[in-house]
Amino acid sequence: MTNRPLENMSATTKVLDARGLFCPEPVFRTKIEVERMQVGETLTVLADDPNAEEDVSRWVKRNGHELLSLEKKDSALEFQIKKVK
Amino acid sequence: MAKVVLDAGALDRVGNTPLIKLDSLSNDKVQYFAKLESHNPFGSVKDRAAYWMIKDAEEKGKLKKNHTIIIEPTSGNTGIALTGIASLLGYEVEIVIPEKASEETKKIIAKLGAKLYETSDDLCPKVGAGTDQSIALATSIASSRPDKYYSPNQYANEANFLGHYKGTGPEIWKQTEGKVTHFFTGVGTGGTVTGISTFLKEQNPKLKTIGVQPQQNHLIQGLRNFEESAKPDLFIRREKSVDDWITINNETAFAAVKELFQKESLMVSPSSATVYAAMKKYPIQEGIVVGIFADDGRKFKSLYAQQKVFTEEEFDANLKQAKHLSKIVYLD
Repeated sequence: MTNRPLENMSATTKVLDARGLFCPEPVFRTKIEVERMQVGETLTVLADDPNAEEDVSRWVKRNGHELLSLEKKDSALEFQIKKVK
Repeated sequence: MAKVVLDAGALDRVGNTPLIKLDSLSNDKVQYFAKLESHNPFGSVKDRAAYWMIKDAEEKGKLKKNHTIIIEPTSGNTGIALTGIASLLGYEVEIVIPEKASEETKKIIAKLGAKLYETSDDLCPKVGAGTDQSIALATSIASSRPDKYYSPNQYANEANFLGHYKGTGPEIWKQTEGKVTHFFTGVGTGGTVTGISTFLKEQNPKLKTIGVQPQQNHLIQGLRNFEESAKPDLFIRREKSVDDWITINNETAFAAVKELFQKESLMVSPSSATVYAAMKKYPIQEGIVVGIFADDGRKFKSLYAQQKVFTEEEFDANLKQAKHLSKIVYLD
């Protein structure tokens, strides 16, 4: 799945590498990073606990942010998250 | 916030808390006593569990000074006790706490030097709410870095039981000159009730232990109602050490906070007042009765104002008149 617009790629300023961490730590670290960001900025999250797919996606939607893309590369997940509010 | 500088001598003050007579309940045939656990250095019964769990982990080689980080999910006194005692022994502490926990408690833990992780219920809804979120996060942080983190887990740690079996129980036996007949305490992890009761029953098999629980949806920090919360492993191991149960509702507990100040000049916590209310309500014909007062009222100014127990002005005035207030390290 890849549908991210090019302008969002260039706006990505932060990467959170949560590989090797077990849920719910990836979603917890995602929350902290998003809280520190400005509206409009994007965050790349890398995670390899399969439970992160549901946890991170759901947290992003419930909190009104935008999941621009979710890609599966080898055993890792790569989320692109845009802070909306 | 400036970190408090701690005096290593505080560790020598864990345990050996006073037993005071409650004149408002006592009569010719029954004498009632309260064991004031607020006299532990960090202000609560949890100093015992924290001290014993850390010492036990040290003896078993699970901790390395200036390397190991101790992480624990907690919403109250265990966070304060573990942070204070672990800092004195040379370990970093991280506390995972529900964001809804009282601001007073969070401030004390931060002041004592722990890193705080606050969890919210939307993080991972499948694990549950409140402390269950904190337990999940603490477990995940520790399990992905086993060389760096150690989680004592007070709900299953045998050292929590032993602290009371070898400490509080013998203290009560000695302080009552072996005459104690009834023992009351609230139940959270089960360490206090099973540890003390097991020891006292070995000395006097006729001793009766009464577990005190709050109502469901209660406001009593530190206690559990087992109809709505799971029984911890530590409690289940020696469940039979409790002979009888009594349930106290929020209203009765808060009324007891007020009564204890008016009749005994004691400023107590909601959980201590719950134990007092249980001692008052439970019929006893004759004997020597001991109740555990797990901490005092000093962290509950905002709760008491909210529950209309004392206004903030009354609270401050009462503290000046209160008897048996202990020296607490973080209040120096």
